[in-house]
Amino acid sequence: MHETRPGFVRLTAADRPGVAQPVPERDIPAQPWGRIWIGALLLALALLAWWELHWRAFGATPSYRNSDGQWAVERRRVAAADADTVVLVGDSRLLFDVQLDTWERVTGNRPIQLAMEGTSPLPVLEDLAADPSFTGRVLVDVAPRVFFGNSSRRANVADYARRQGPSQRSGTWLSMHLLEPYFAFLEPDFALAVVMRRQPIWPKRPGLRMRTPVRKLADREVDRNTYMWHKLVDDPAYRELARSIWAEEFDRPLRGMDTPEATRAAVDAQIERTAKAVATLRARGVRLVFVRPPSIGPYLEWEEKYLPRATT
Amino acid sequence: MVFNSLTFIVFFACVLALHALPLPWTAKKANLLVASYLFYAAWNPPFVILLWVSTIVDWYAALGLVRAQRPAARRAWMLLSVVVNLGMLAWFKYGNFLLANFNALVAPLGVQWQAPHYDIVLPVGISFYTFATLSYTLDVYLRRATPARNFLDYALFVTFFPHLVAGPIMRPTELVPQFEQPRRATAQMLRFGLALMTLGLFQKVVLADALLAPAAEMVYDGMGAPGALDAWLGTLAFSGQIFCDFAGYSTTAIGAALCLGFAMPDNFRFPYAAVGFSDFWRRWHITLSSWLRDYLYIPLGGNRHGEARTYGALMATMLLGGLWHGASWSFVAWGGLHGLYLAVERWLRGRFAGYRPGTLALFMLALLTWTLVNITWVFFRAKGFEHAGTVLGGMFGMNGAAPPILPTSHVVPVALIVAAIVATHWWMRARTLEATLARTPAIVLSLAWGLMLFAIVAAQGTGSAFIYFQF
Repeated sequence: MHETRPGFVRLTAADRPGVAQPVPERDIPAQPWGRIWIGALLLALALLAWWELHWRAFGATPSYRNSDGQWAVERRRVAAADADTVVLVGDSRLLFDVQLDTWERVTGNRPIQLAMEGTSPLPVLEDLAADPSFTGRVLVDVAPRVFFGNSSRRANVADYARRQGPSQRSGTWLSMHLLEPYFAFLEPDFALAVVMRRQPIWPKRPGLRMRTPVRKLADREVDRNTYMWHKLVDDPAYRELARSIWAEEFDRPLRGMDTPEATRAAVDAQIERTAKAVATLRARGVRLVFVRPPSIGPYLEWEEKYLPRATT
Repeated sequence: MVFNSLTFIVFFACVLALHALPLPWTAKKANLLVASYLFYAAWNPPFVILLWVSTIVDWYAALGLVRAQRPAARRAWMLLSVVVNLGMLAWFKYGNFLLANFNALVAPLGVQWQAPHYDIVLPVGISFYTFATLSYTLDVYLRRATPARNFLDYALFVTFFPHLVAGPIMRPTELVPQFEQPRRATAQMLRFGLALMTLGLFQKVVLADALLAPAAEMVYDGMGAPGALDAWLGTLAFSGQIFCDFAGYSTTAIGAALCLGFAMPDNFRFPYAAVGFSDFWRRWHITLSSWLRDYLYIPLGGNRHGEARTYGALMATMLLGGLWHGASWSFVAWGGLHGLYLAVERWLRGRFAGYRPGTLALFMLALLTWTLVNITWVFFRAKGFEHAGTVLGGMFGMNGAAPPILPTSHVVPVALIVAAIVATHWWMRARTLEATLARTPAIVLSLAWGLMLFAIVAAQGTGSAFIYFQF
């Protein structure tokens, strides 16, 4: 190792064709790296403290991240579940609507929460069907827009859980034990780039129809027990913002379902896949209940226009 | 495991602590070897066996090369190493690609044979460590190096975790001698190594993953054909992303090795300031391009057997270099395009041998090189030729009034970051990072380092894999 040599441009293998390459040389810039280190660390800690306080002042509290790793932890619990265990499979409706504590108080059993926001329950249902060790019960959420539209926001998560390597597992464990229970800023909605992009400084690009990213809606416990964030419940302005983001999608049919024929074909395809998974599960003695969640207002209007109850 | 993960932070802290213990040098090397196997196994434990196969075969092949007297015997030992390493690579990386192409080839002849599609998982970093171990036997075969004095030094050269899965592709003569004598990082080396790791992770987590990748994904993974602005910005975003992703990995790896007291070579030298394509390949993924030059281009004849043979060797090297990146014809096209650029540049250099460009002309040539490099990235990023054609069509205004894709909250950051990358590369093209840092006031370094640390944490990366892991 060398101190920095003025004007020195380090040679690389690119400058030495066809010969044995020597031991590389690396320079250490002549700087007080100890003091630089301490200054950098103090600055980073101060900024992180400010960042954490900022989000706490906004109303956030520490909550578990809705991560693929956390979902995989719950999916592995299914393997150890007995025949009385209920597995919840669906989209955000089931994820937000079912309070595991209440369910446990009423039934004596705590279900396993596998519902995922913006994601059709079908990939998870098929994953359970393909798992011969699973003999529990399943509650399936049929929110028409997501179920028949085959929304696939996190459709790969079952595959992720199957292929998850040891380092990914340990990363989830470390995050869920050392970080997530203590820091409120660890929330995708508060990520630096996400915050930057939603600032009102960006002019609108003519002709661009952009969907506003969904804001933070919920808090989670260690086993994915999910409940609406108190800000969404208590802050009318924030609630209206969340509703307006959903409303952006209520003026048109889903992609690929813009004619009655296309809609029929898409619905039939989903029903066919579902029937196949259900048959496999029932053959193993698994009991299933399908629930269509209630809807009101613009959401109901959209459903009645594009996916009416009579045809789905 | 990946550098940008919590698991790696804990792993690296344990390795640093173990390496600092007052243990014999052999015990420290054994610790590093075990740690490196853990580093690899943390992704998918069974594939450590492949690493062992590659390590053991090349160890004995090199010993056989030294003992063999007859040229035929030496050649046989060399071929054993080549066949085993490239065989593993062919099976895991190119198996399905070869079968699919065989199907396509025999179908017009009336052979209706459908090859089974194997669900083969690509062992992470196999292209990197097979090339590293191959260079060991090839250097011994070419009498450029002697075998390592002991198995531990050699196995650690193959497995040393900073370079194991995504380079820089080390040569045995670069690393084995460093294991022969006890080494320990000084306090300055440790601190500067950590600074390099911070810089590398900032490039990966903040610039590549958080700021550039989403724009590239919206253009390349979206449904619609992009217009001119979106096609160019999506491609520029990817060109910035792949640089920050891969150079970020290399910088982190170099920093990690430095923290342990070892030196690794530069893998990037500000490539977007290259003037011409031979210059580009002396600056981009240097350890791969020099590997291909030393073990493929030169053995194919290099420039020693006339013009036609030179152009042939050049094209063959770049086509195979493209294929090294992935089992797909679009990677071959990417390599072929670079080969074509290099061939044209070679012809132009011969035709205008006396031409010495001024500063402005040099800058314009650098800009032309960068623009043409961006066109090659389309083949690298697109999902096949049809898709590449659609994006290229957009870049050259052939998609008419395509609806816009990127909002200004992506357009502006991508434009600023890519401009900053190109300007930095131009400013640094004849400098080293270290020389520049040595002249920078300490307070500025402290502020920059602190801001990068904050940004890495606040960006909340999801531990996404580095792009080059798949190669």
